[in-house]
Amino acid sequence: MTNFLSDGVSAGDIVLAGIKAVIAFVICLVATMLMVWFERKVVSRLQNRIGPNVTGPFGLLQTLADGIKLFFKEDIIPSRSDRFVFQLAPYLSLVPAFLTFAIIPIAGDFSPGNDGTVTLPGGQVTGFQVADVPAGILFFLAMSSLGIYGIMLAGWSSGSKYPLLGSVRATAQAISYEAALGLSLASVILVSGTLSTSGIVQAQAEGGFFGMNMIVTGFVPFFVFIVAGTAELNRPPFDLVEAEQELVGGFHTEYSSIRFAMFFLAEFMNTVTMGAIIVTLFMGGPSAWFGLYFLGWFGGFVWFFAKLLLFLFMFVWFRATLPRLRYDQLMDLGWKLLIPISLGWLLVLGGIRVAQNGDIGLFESNTADVIFVLAVSLAIMAIGATLLQKAITNSAQERLASRGLRSVPTQQDLAASTTEQDGGH
Amino acid sequence: MAQYLPIFALLVVAVLFAALSFAASKLLAPRNPTEEKLAPYECGIIPGREPPQRFPVRFYLVAMLFIVFDIEIVFLYPWAMTYGDLGLFGLLAILLFSALVFESFVYLISKGALDWGPLQVNRRQQATVVARTAESTIRKVGTEGRYSEAEPVVTAASSTLETGAA
Repeated sequence: MTNFLSDGVSAGDIVLAGIKAVIAFVICLVATMLMVWFERKVVSRLQNRIGPNVTGPFGLLQTLADGIKLFFKEDIIPSRSDRFVFQLAPYLSLVPAFLTFAIIPIAGDFSPGNDGTVTLPGGQVTGFQVADVPAGILFFLAMSSLGIYGIMLAGWSSGSKYPLLGSVRATAQAISYEAALGLSLASVILVSGTLSTSGIVQAQAEGGFFGMNMIVTGFVPFFVFIVAGTAELNRPPFDLVEAEQELVGGFHTEYSSIRFAMFFLAEFMNTVTMGAIIVTLFMGGPSAWFGLYFLGWFGGFVWFFAKLLLFLFMFVWFRATLPRLRYDQLMDLGWKLLIPISLGWLLVLGGIRVAQNGDIGLFESNTADVIFVLAVSLAIMAIGATLLQKAITNSAQERLASRGLRSVPTQQDLAASTTEQDGGH
Repeated sequence: MAQYLPIFALLVVAVLFAALSFAASKLLAPRNPTEEKLAPYECGIIPGREPPQRFPVRFYLVAMLFIVFDIEIVFLYPWAMTYGDLGLFGLLAILLFSALVFESFVYLISKGALDWGPLQVNRRQQATVVARTAESTIRKVGTEGRYSEAEPVVTAASSTLETGAA
């Protein structure tokens, strides 16, 4: 019986794993550093300011300077905090942020006939990602859930009012949107037929520009994913977690020095990673559009980076333009809109696919089956939407009744009140 | 296991990075704790109360509802992977399952499990128009749009939802 852990692991694999980990680590840190700079610079320009421009060329080293400064700041552990958990929380936030990056293919030649891998001088075949695991998507979901623990425990262990409120809000928000995130992800899995990220990129590369999952899944999962992803990152307009006017700094109010830097780093690393995940899942990752492949694997990196920049700019743009949502609006958007829509869309997509495969067999041709499925799903969705609308109205009326207030005025009521007023004069 | 080896290596590197940063900070940073500095942050006011031990029950409700949907997702993923093999049977089964979850979801919403914040008070429709007559040429500022206190008229939250029809 072979050892499960060492099964099929050669010395070369271990060396390769070490090299990959170090490269990924450096990329993560540099990308985060540049992302902070990019955000500050773009927000500045959008607000008609200049932004950091002193440290290094174009202020590029500003983040590094800030980071070094934080090393020299006093590390305060509040007297009422739970010391162990307080010190553990930054790890729980930072480590998953690093690990999520592992499943993203950042380069590679995905032109027809290639699968994005290269053969190294040692004879090993590898893709341009830290680990091409068969369950990459599940790994991403697991890591994004783990990150919530960091936030929750940070707030809870601080022994202070604002961090606690901020972390409870953050947890409720993150798990609400995680459901929508997972449901829109299911559509991607459905059309790509694989859980591996490189497999998803390859499935999109085969279709060229119109093979992008954004188009194949019909745009709705893409938009749901962007909204849910932004909420998951606790970025504006969903940054109620650290709403300065209400909660000071949110869950990291009590953190200072390098511990604060860890949360900050994790936040921006997650932003970059989420952008990269969107690119991988919906925009074809490193595969080229319109068959414009060039320079082998490096061309893949250029494509990936160009697409990623699009989304990073989008995140910054959101922050600079959109006002923050109110908490009830946030919850309503997540639960009553995004979740039903993404669930319904997934089922319709599945129905169409099954009909296309000819598994329904009600009519002679598959096209007729597809039309039938579309008609049925429209009817079902109309019923579902009506039910949901009824439920929302009903709950509002019950709340009004419980306060002894008159419920929604009908048109007759309004008309009556107008005539009364007119008669009075 | 070879596939997961790089992830493990990255884990080690990340933990090492965090640990070394903390160590460096311990060496470089000054340590001068005072009682005031270590007190919980309250914008400069001496904290008078313990942080809240109890929370609005809605937060727990959200967590419980999330589990329902998370389990649904757990069942949806395998179907999304194998819908081709399962064919019509799989589609009908997942439809039935989703319908059951959705039905209980609708029931929960109708019971108000996901109601947050204040109800939207409709003031625009109930605006009292103060006519400018010979007796009252003085127009009271700030009273427009207020409904009378004797009989408060409130309308239900007109939700921004267009619901799942899209």
